[in-house]
Amino acid sequence: MDKQQREAWYLYHQQKYGIPVEYLRREYERELAGQNPMDAPLEIPDKMEVFYKYSYGQQSRFFRELRENQAVYGAKCPQCSKVYCPPRAHCSQCYKPTEWVKLKGTGIIKACTVQHYTTSAFIKKVPFICAYVQLDGTDFLLMTNMEVEDVSKIGVGTRVKAAFRENRHGTITDFYFKPLE
Amino acid sequence: MRDVAIVGMGTTKFKSRWVDKTYYELAFDAAKMALEDAGLEKDRIDCAVYGIYNDFFQRQYQPDAFVHDYLGLGLKPMVRVNSGGATGGAALRIGYAEVASGLYDVCLVLGVEKCADTYNYEMKMSTPEVLRAILYTADMTYDNPAGRTAASGFALAVVAHRDKFGNPTEEQMAKVSVKNHFNATKNPLAQSPKVLTVEEVMNSRMIVEPFKFYDNCLYTEGSSAVILASREVAERITDKPVWISGLGASADYVMPGNRPNIYTFESSRLAARKAYAMAGVKDPLQDLDLAELHDAFTGTEIMAYEDCFFCEEGQGGSLIDDGTVMPDGQLPVNLSGGLIGCGHAVGATGIMQTYEVALHLRGEAGRRQKKGARRGLVQSIGGTLCTWTVCLVLER
Ligand SMILES: [Zn+2]
Repeated sequence: MDKQQREAWYLYHQQKYGIPVEYLRREYERELAGQNPMDAPLEIPDKMEVFYKYSYGQQSRFFRELRENQAVYGAKCPQCSKVYCPPRAHCSQCYKPTEWVKLKGTGIIKACTVQHYTTSAFIKKVPFICAYVQLDGTDFLLMTNMEVEDVSKIGVGTRVKAAFRENRHGTITDFYFKPLE
Repeated sequence: MRDVAIVGMGTTKFKSRWVDKTYYELAFDAAKMALEDAGLEKDRIDCAVYGIYNDFFQRQYQPDAFVHDYLGLGLKPMVRVNSGGATGGAALRIGYAEVASGLYDVCLVLGVEKCADTYNYEMKMSTPEVLRAILYTADMTYDNPAGRTAASGFALAVVAHRDKFGNPTEEQMAKVSVKNHFNATKNPLAQSPKVLTVEEVMNSRMIVEPFKFYDNCLYTEGSSAVILASREVAERITDKPVWISGLGASADYVMPGNRPNIYTFESSRLAARKAYAMAGVKDPLQDLDLAELHDAFTGTEIMAYEDCFFCEEGQGGSLIDDGTVMPDGQLPVNLSGGLIGCGHAVGATGIMQTYEVALHLRGEAGRRQKKGARRGLVQSIGGTLCTWTVCLVLER
């Protein structure tokens, strides 16, 4: 490929995948300049992507309450009294429809670790806490992350409280936990 | 049920990247080796089970269809299995059932995985993108947005175990890492042969507390295959059959809120108990000659000593301290190097572990051969906090 064709290749892939031209140039310049043997493995940029208009089904109210009312709800089984949060429409043991119960938003860390390395999507946030929280009034565990100044101050037994973000989208990240003073 | 034997097996090298092979080309290499080992033509295969974990890794949904096509097995029945890290073990379980039930006489069980075609352009490496692909297996509504990794799930369990029982200590975990990396130096197929010291492991950088760099397996590409056959066929075609004498499986609640605790893996305990009962293993420490356990992390290998009943609950750390699981110990664990030393090519891993135990039972394990090995254990686990476990007891 000549220089003009190469630049067109970079631009096309930057527009298609959002990969900056400098990275594409770094990875593919040698190949595009024809410096690799004909039978050498040929690598290409690609991406797998699907758009959604996802339905929360029977959990919808939980997310609407988060977004509209800054309230955390659990789901209680009328038969065994187990309270789920994350909520579910049916108790998985009794197979009875659950009832919504409003929670206080306070809870306790039941399991805790510190993430020093993680996925592409979160790598810029390390170190952060990765924990299971049991919300008060529930019998369940909720996975959460916590970005705090000093990760060493958080551990099993730390009391936490839900805090809501100003801009809420109807997702679980509409709230986060901070240590209860 | 009919008796089922491994009559042929093959595996590619486990490597960080097979840049010159696609997943179905890798699968072809393993299948060809297994057929040659069995002395069978591919048309003798009656059915196939494919263990392939992550569709993002392969850049392909339903990758099994393309493997099946490339292997020239069109019109034979096949099924693809995906049980996270336990995919290989789960594929073996289905293959066993195909033959034991009498439905088919010869079954190809093949695991394959790519991963390093995923790439983070900014960081110039695959790993963070590999982890991103894996994170799609966390509950998308509630867990995925927390940014956890496979390591953090298991780290939470190991921390809980340590809080409850006082072990595994960092030093015990480091000893497991040293052992498995060293065992890999005697395995020509291994990705990470290394002579390390306990200090080097303990001083490596923190990944997810309490796991440091060398406490983790790496991501791996590779393919492994075994050919299973009924007793009638096995006795006709091979004089070195390896019998699957015990098999146990369990799948736990993926949401830890539905479990009584997270410091033990109940699915592993159930799977081991079931496999031992079927094989007539009474005292695993006495009755087994070697074991390949799922050591994605050093701490979980130590938990596996307990879950496979090599010791009492809470005593796992003592078996690495007293040398029981060392190559010259009473019950060597992960002579292949395990996932940490040999590698973790997810869909292939459980089959690689099976290949390893079978190799020892056939007396063909070279410099790492367990002398006189007659019976061994394979443990294959996967999923958030060990959702799946499959255990197999193999005998010659
Ligand atoms: Zn109930």
